Amino acid sequence: MTSITDIEAMIARVALRDRAAFAALYDATSAKLFGVCLRVLNNRSEAEDTLQEVYLRIWAKADTYAVTGHSPMTWLITVARNLAIDRLRKRKPETAPPGDMDELPASAPGPEAVAMERSERARIAACLEELDEGKADAVRSVYLDGLTYQDLATRHDVPLNTMRTWLRRSLIKLRECLTR
Amino acid sequence: MSAPDDAYDDEALAAEYVLHLLDADARRAFEDRLRDDRALQDMVYRWEGELAPLSEEIAPAAPPPALKSKVMEAVGPSRERSPLQSIWSLVLGGAVAAGLLGFLMFGDVLRGPADLTPEFEARLSAGDGSVILVAQVIPATHEIVVERVAGGPPPGRVHELWLIAEGATAPVSLGVLQDEGATRIRVPDDIAPGVRTGTVAISDEPPGGSPTGAPTGSVIATATFVDI
Repeated sequence: MTSITDIEAMIARVALRDRAAFAALYDATSAKLFGVCLRVLNNRSEAEDTLQEVYLRIWAKADTYAVTGHSPMTWLITVARNLAIDRLRKRKPETAPPGDMDELPASAPGPEAVAMERSERARIAACLEELDEGKADAVRSVYLDGLTYQDLATRHDVPLNTMRTWLRRSLIKLRECLTR
Repeated sequence: MSAPDDAYDDEALAAEYVLHLLDADARRAFEDRLRDDRALQDMVYRWEGELAPLSEEIAPAAPPPALKSKVMEAVGPSRERSPLQSIWSLVLGGAVAAGLLGFLMFGDVLRGPADLTPEFEARLSAGDGSVILVAQVIPATHEIVVERVAGGPPPGRVHELWLIAEGATAPVSLGVLQDEGATRIRVPDDIAPGVRTGTVAISDEPPGGSPTGAPTGSVIATATFVDI
């Protein structure tokens, strides 16, 4: 398993245009980031295109990693998720999601589980539990699947504005809990 | 509206931004504010950090092997050439732009007494805060003054300063830093114009600096410049 410090060192060298470090970073993290792209896009070829974009972004922006104060995996996952959702939003609204995958990868942390801080994980989980179940699920699927307010409103069969108010209130509650 | 309400509005807005819940117009408006608003940036980073653990439940999936070669090809040729060559390619590649920019940025040298005020700076801080350096640039004289705020190299090692000009494929050494206090470095005229938009980095090297012309030890910190 590659440690957090290893990945941090790789990112620092990538900022110096070190291709060997970039190749090592790709080997250590591409499976996780591909998982993130697949989860959002639910389409293999789009996820592959996006993953390529993700690594080019990482190559170009490695020097900005430090300002975010993120742990290395947080930064990488954030880059991947942002680009995957950008791609998702660019799909023509009238076309249904392609969904060419037989099944989504199983929801279990992989063995190499490029670890997040355990405490971080516990904190968001505990704070989501303080929300009503439906709202916690909504936050989760917005983060993991890239759902929009419109998707949520349809799913819960409520008007768009109701949905927006509902979720914003949950986010503020979540902020209060996370700050405690 | 009272201040706490504003803060909460921004917190919710920052969360919506991180979650990609804003529509295109609202997103653009938020990004305009984000550019210069440190407090808002911090809110965004905090949400990103707090929500990221949700992705723990996503199982890794191996991408097709061919993708790696595509990615590696896209980031340019391998750096297996002599340091001299990489410096030359950097110099030649940037020569025209450098000449023009150099005139725009440093043209006042020709017109009057040099202004010795630093105009931009970069804060180089190791992840754990054990080493902190501040690099300030005096455009008029093409000088970088690197002040050591905290920490030093391990015994028997030195810190070397590098510049990666925007779009460059390899870093260029700017010199070895003193173990304490300030180091004044004169940047070669041909690369000076690339400093403002480039990235600086500190690496850990053997005495006298990297023997290969490329960083050989661990990279302690990287940073970009901001106007003072």
